[in-house]
Amino acid sequence: MKIDYSCVTRRTFLNTLLGGWILAFGSGTLYALCKFAFPTLGKEPDFVILKASDYLEIPVNSVKPFAWGGKLGLFFKNTKGDTFALKGVCTHMECNITYKPEAMKFYCACHKGWFDETGRNIEGPPPKPLEFFDSAIEGEKLVISRKGVKIEPPKA
Amino acid sequence: MNRQRLRRWFEERYDLTEIGRLAGSKLVPSHRYEIWYYTGGIALFLFVLQFITGMVLALYYVPHFEYAYKSIADIVTKLNMGWFFRSLHHWGAQLAIAALFVHLFSALLLKSYRKPREFLWLSGFILLVISIFFGLSGYLLLWDERAFAAVKVATGGAGNLPVAGHCIKAFLRGGIDVTGETLTRFYAFHVSILPLATLFLIGIHVLLVQYHGLSVPVSLEGKSRREIPFFPNLFLKDLMIWLIMLGIVVTLATLLPPEIGKIADPLAPAPENIKPEWYFLFLFQTLKLFPGEIFGLNGETVAILLISCGICFFFLIPFFDRKSAHGQRSPFFTWIGIFYTLYFIVMTFIGFLS
Repeated sequence: MKIDYSCVTRRTFLNTLLGGWILAFGSGTLYALCKFAFPTLGKEPDFVILKASDYLEIPVNSVKPFAWGGKLGLFFKNTKGDTFALKGVCTHMECNITYKPEAMKFYCACHKGWFDETGRNIEGPPPKPLEFFDSAIEGEKLVISRKGVKIEPPKA
Repeated sequence: MNRQRLRRWFEERYDLTEIGRLAGSKLVPSHRYEIWYYTGGIALFLFVLQFITGMVLALYYVPHFEYAYKSIADIVTKLNMGWFFRSLHHWGAQLAIAALFVHLFSALLLKSYRKPREFLWLSGFILLVISIFFGLSGYLLLWDERAFAAVKVATGGAGNLPVAGHCIKAFLRGGIDVTGETLTRFYAFHVSILPLATLFLIGIHVLLVQYHGLSVPVSLEGKSRREIPFFPNLFLKDLMIWLIMLGIVVTLATLLPPEIGKIADPLAPAPENIKPEWYFLFLFQTLKLFPGEIFGLNGETVAILLISCGICFFFLIPFFDRKSAHGQRSPFFTWIGIFYTLYFIVMTFIGFLS
């Protein structure tokens, strides 16, 4: 039935109302479900503080792992005795890498990727070099931070 | 006497004669390719086996990253028959996925996907994808170093997809890294979300088979051919094959129980000589073909984009193959089918041997 001065029939009006209600209810439900199912993402830290004496004394041509948030960090002393901190995660598929002292290279076992001492990707599938961090010694603390990030560690 | 009373009890409520007549009137085509009809039944049987063994394992498994590994060690070392059920679940999964691949490629080569069975193809393909995800999620539940690295790579690979990649990766991992949260999430996928989706899709798939009847290859269509009753002829053969399959699974489970590696450690390097499960090997080998960078773009992204296109084409093949939809021979799509099948087999073998 359609009233003379109305644009739509009563049936169309009710169908649109019902359709709109179903759409609103459905999308609201879906939104709430997705919002709940999707995790709250943390982020990688900007810096970590380690005990300097645990890391500075490692032998040359070796690495020692540390936790960079939930990821692997490596404190590395090269053959000349220079120290570096880097993220021990392959730039290809995020597998944890290892240091091969005999080859003086970093190696990822997942897809056989190689990086040289400076972290440059030299063989295999890794598309980018390894990420190196800044490191500074403050008293007994070894502060490892993301490159270019200004930090003010707590004094205590 | 009791049996007769029981029968009468049912007959008063249900029309058993009509059900018997319906079952007896179900005919299936019999021809030289009929052996491929059994692959679907084998997959179904193995799914049932997985559900049963999975349910009993869930009685003891602890889905928490601090206890998961130990609970599996306890299942296989301390519980009565624990090693056997874990081994049965492992080998059942391997064979179920193998049966699904055989079923899929036989449907592809016999063009069973053609009109009017497009939804059968689509539901079957989604079931295979779900099964692979079953495999991956079940693998992480071990919480050993290999599973940990494998899930890192697989979810990292999903992260390389353009646009939605990061969202998918974060959703699967339950955060930015593979952690205990990922284990909880994969447990939910493995024991609740995926089984329900599987039951629903198997229901649709089997209903559609009943509705359309079994597909006959294009080359035999229109020719006069023999038809045999489903009950008891084909059903008894199905039962025999299921019994043989059970024998194979039990033998493998007894003689080759799966190992469990060292406990997962987020700060340990990936284990040496790590390889994905056999059903990921063709993808693993394909990824190896691509360099790290292609025309300034990330090689991995390009590779995953191309693989996704190949899989999408495969998924939608019933809608591209117009000739067979009209009941004509379509040799071009036969070659495409052969290419896909050979590619999968050859790449899996290369991956296995390299």
